[in-house]
This record gives sequence, structure tokens and C-alpha cells, in this order.
Amino acid sequence: MSTTVPAPVAGVPVGPGLSMFDPIFIGIDEFGQPVYLDVIYRNILIAGEPGGGKSGLVNNICGHGVLCDNTRLVLFDAKLVELGPWRDLADAFIGPDIDQGIDVLRRLLVVATNRYTWLLANRRRKLAPGDGMSVIVTIIDELAMYSTVLGTKPQQEEFSALLRGLVSLGRACGMPVVAATQRPSWDIIPASLRDLFGYRAAFRCTSLNSSNIILGQGWAEQGYTASDISPTNQGAAYLLAEGGVPRRIKAAYLSDTDIYNIADYAAWTRRPTSTPAGDTTGWEMAA
Amino acid sequence: MSKSSPRRFAGKSTGTVTVIEARVHRSSARNARVAFILTAVVVGVLAAVVAASYWHPIVALIVGALVGVPCGAAAWLLVRIWPVLRLLWWWITEVLLAVLLLTGWVQLAGHTPMVVTLLVVALVVGVPAAVPVIRRQVIAWAWCLVVRHRLRVCFAQFIIANQSGSLPLILWARPTPVGERVWVYLRPGLSAKDLEGRLDKIAVTCHASTVLIERAAENNAAYLRFDIKRREVLTAHVGSPLVDQIDPTAPVSASPLTVPTALDLPDVDAPTITLPAQGKPAGKKPAPTTSANGSKPAASSSAPEDDVSDWI
Ligand SMILES: Nc1ncnc2c1ncn2[C@@H]1O[C@H](COP(=O)(O)OP(=O)(O)OP(=O)(O)O)[C@@H](O)[C@H]1O
Ligand SMILES: [Mg+2]
Repeated sequence: MSTTVPAPVAGVPVGPGLSMFDPIFIGIDEFGQPVYLDVIYRNILIAGEPGGGKSGLVNNICGHGVLCDNTRLVLFDAKLVELGPWRDLADAFIGPDIDQGIDVLRRLLVVATNRYTWLLANRRRKLAPGDGMSVIVTIIDELAMYSTVLGTKPQQEEFSALLRGLVSLGRACGMPVVAATQRPSWDIIPASLRDLFGYRAAFRCTSLNSSNIILGQGWAEQGYTASDISPTNQGAAYLLAEGGVPRRIKAAYLSDTDIYNIADYAAWTRRPTSTPAGDTTGWEMAA
Repeated sequence: MSKSSPRRFAGKSTGTVTVIEARVHRSSARNARVAFILTAVVVGVLAAVVAASYWHPIVALIVGALVGVPCGAAAWLLVRIWPVLRLLWWWITEVLLAVLLLTGWVQLAGHTPMVVTLLVVALVVGVPAAVPVIRRQVIAWAWCLVVRHRLRVCFAQFIIANQSGSLPLILWARPTPVGERVWVYLRPGLSAKDLEGRLDKIAVTCHASTVLIERAAENNAAYLRFDIKRREVLTAHVGSPLVDQIDPTAPVSASPLTVPTALDLPDVDAPTITLPAQGKPAGKKPAPTTSANGSKPAASSSAPEDDVSDWI
């Protein structure tokens, strides 16, 4: 990868100094105020109908992640194009290959366990920004592809089980999971996995029931239903995060040019220290 | 606050006196009388006590009466003209603005020739009207003034709070991109829950599309925030600030990709399809594939009982 990047001619690029511990800008609320999301200690599940804008939101988080100092990305995208622009910046980019996905998840679980041992040895329970340990963000677009379509039934089950382990372990050791899927009902994702995601973003759905599956039961009855989002208003969603009540938001949107510009810039700033995809030594260092 | 304190005393004492006619609104005259007596006695006694350390007690009593009676009279007057004061307080911004504008106009007209006067007025009115940013700001703040009165109308007309008819304190208002945000301090007799059932009526009264209520302070249930919405911002296109963080001229970097050549259906031989057979019935198979957009609503409506059982 580093061979394709020409040496900078004018000056040394300076990273923007973002950190994964900073709140991530994801859009505006219905009063036009900016909405930030603390992804680091939370897992977020993004769902909604096809074309609702899920990948738009996921790309915001990715874009923030690649510009962050000391952050590793693990990307799962069976559709390739949504997270593909970040593939060179990610420590692992998994396309439509469930075996590779299972391998990476196993490695992530080992890292998580090692980190907890480290925390235990340091008499702590939670990773802090000053620890100097990298944040490993796992981002999955189209979770349903791995849990229902690709591979064999046992593989899919193993994938779901490993992911469940990561989601439940990763929170306090700086390994958050961001997952997007179209409809997180039990036949697509096990309920035991879905219910571990603390934050929910519901893009447009076709029915109250679908909205309830994403946000949690009972919200539609209280008037918080993603089925009242207009189909032409892509990127509008209900976000259930801090505050405990779903908020209407409009996700920020990065055009393809923006995404590739950010990816190029991030590659440029990360160039001297970045580890090539698939390099295992990075994992041992982090652990 | 100091203005209302005599009234509060009066309210308390009449509350005990008028047990028989509990449902009757206390008249302003009665309030004023009680305020007079209370203030006169309290101030008089205090003055007398202080005076007694300098003069003979009888002289001190006279001094106390001389001080107490005017104070009581002042309190009486305050309570009698309280409705007017309240009205003035409600309209104080408009009154001040009008006074300012009128004085400005009179001073201008008195000190400059006609042409200059007209020119200045044209500038003062024309520039904000012509520059969209300023115009929008002016209109937004004007709505803030309007909305405080409209909210008061709501409270006075159809949100009856308590017997004495005290209205919530309508505090600061400021524009938001969708309308206005007003902070309100509720008086006894109202709660956020009471208001939540009447949001549609409040929206109508404020000429708005919707109104939302939120608590403005975690530790005080009386302190509320009204969000009045007139416009929809969620249809706007939101850019990301990340774009400003980067240098778009960074060199292009991308690892080489091997691009497949089988880009059309005939290019792919039938046996090479490797979509694995599922453990599920064949009818379910198309639902999870991303391309089957049309089948998704069908899937969602066909499995409601599964979803419900899933929640248990
Ligand atoms: N925040 C947004 N603002 C404006 N337009 C948006 C926004 N998000 C998405 N869109 C529009 O909607 C289209 C589909 O969005 P996106 O690819 O994110 O949907 P998706 O939910 O990921 O769909 P799928 O389930 O098929 O992956 C985009 O191409 C874009 O034109
Ligand atoms: Mg997508």
C-alpha cells in the first residue's frame, strides 16, 4: 500500500487530531442542533429499509474513525462499495467471505480477553483515553449477509455467536461495534445479539412493527415510529441514544467524492505508521 | 420578585380569612387592604422598636406610625395598580423598543434636514430588509416577542392553573432554526404532564406546526423549555464537518483491485453459483438478499407473530 503513495512534496501532513474518545458528529436534530454520538463505550445498531440511509450514517462513523489518532478499523461489508473506500485504512476489510470474517472475529475476541487481563493487572475496569491503547472499531454493513446469506448454517451461527461475544465484551475495552442491517428481526439476527446494542438508529421502516423491532417495543405506541418518515427523505432517522427517548435526526451525508477525499487524506496522514491490511503483528502489539 | 411580595403576603392571609367564600376570586381591593394593614403594622413596629432605642417609647410609637402608614400606603398602591404593572411588564420590550425608535426619530428629525432624515431611515429600514441574513434574524427575533404573548394567551385562556389565576413566568425566548425556544417557569397548579395533553392547542395558538415540551432543569420540575416548530429542517441536506478537516489535494492512494470480468448474467456459468443452500425453507431464501427490495415489506407483514413472540 505504501508503495502507491508518492512521498509528499510540500510539507509533512498533520493529522486533524481527532480521537475516538471525541463525540462523533452524525447530523442534526429536529431543531437544527448538531447531534453527536459517543461510540466508544457503546454499540450501535442501525436499521431501516433499503435505501433509508444506513450506509450514509455508517460512513460518517468510518470517516471519523480513519481521521482519529490511535484507532483501528475492522470493516465488514459484503456489498464491498459501502466501506470499500476505507479498505486500505482498515486493519481488516472483509468482503463477502464469512470464513475470513469468523477468523477476524476470533482474533478480536482474543484481543478483548487480553485487554481485560491487562486491565485486571492494572486494577481497573475500563479503558481510558490515557492508556495509549488503540481503539478497535468494528463496523459491519449488512449484518444480515453474514448471519443469513453467506456460508453454511453452522458458519452463520458461529459468526453470530462470535459477534455476540464481541458486542458483549468490547464495550469497556475500547472495542465498540457498529452494525447496520435492514431488518433486525429474530430470523435475521438472534434476539440475544440484537438486544446487546445499546444505541439504536431507526431509518425509515414500512410498519410500526418493524420500527418497534429496531427501537424497542412500545416506542411506536408512544408516537416514536420510523414508519412516519417520508420515503423521499433519506437519511432521516430516529436515534435512541443518550436521553433515553428517541430523537428525530437527519444524518450527515458524505458524497462519494467526500469519502474518497477523506480516505486519501487519511492514508496520507497515516502513511508512516499505518499497518498494511492483514498484518498480524499489529494485533499482538495492541493486545 | 420584590414587587410581588406584598401580594404574596396578602394572598396568604386572605387564604385563611376567606374560608367561607373559598371559590370566590379575591378582589383586588381586598388584597390591597390586607397589604396595607400588613405592611403598615410590620414596618411600623420595626420602626418603633428601632426608634425606641433613641427616644421615649411614646415618641417612638408615633415615629413608627409615621413610617408605617406611608409604607402601607405604598404597598396598597402597588397592589391596586398591580394589573397595570403586570401588563407593562409583559409589554416592556415592545414599549422600550417603541420609545427608542420614537426618540430616535424625533431626535433625528429635529437635528438634521429632511433629506438626511429620510436617508438615514431608508438605510436603517432598507439594509436589514435587503440583506437576507439580517432580515431573517430580525424576523426570528420578532417571532420570539410574538410567541411569548401567544404562550401567555394559552395559559390565560385555556390552561387554567390555580384559583388566584397566577400565570407561569414566561422567561427568555430565542430563535432556533425551526422556530423558537421559550423557557417557562411554572407556578403551582401546573405540571409538564398537564401541558403535554394540550400541545396541539398550544401549537394552534402560537401559529406553529408543533410544540414540544422538555424539562430545562433536571432538579426542578417547574422549569420547562418550549420548542415551537414552524419549519422542518430534517429535509435539509447535512454536510459533514470532516470535509473541512481534510486537505482535498492529498495524493490518491488505493491498493490495486482485481476487477472481475463476468459483469453480466450470461458471463456466469450456472454451476459456478455458490450461494449456499440454507437450512431454511426455500421460500424464505429471497427475503434476506439485498436485491429483493420488493420482498421486504411482504416478509415484514408475514411474520408479525414471530416478532411478537420474539419479544417475550
Ligand atoms: N443523510 C442523507 N442525506 C441525504 N441523502 C441521503 C442520506 N443518506 C442517504 N441518502 C440517499 O439515499 C441513498 C441510499 O442511501 P444508503 O446507501 O445509505 O441506504 P442504505 O440504507 O444503506 O441502503 P441498503 O439497505 O440498500 O444498503 C443514497 O444514495 C443517498 O442518495
Ligand atoms: Mg447500505
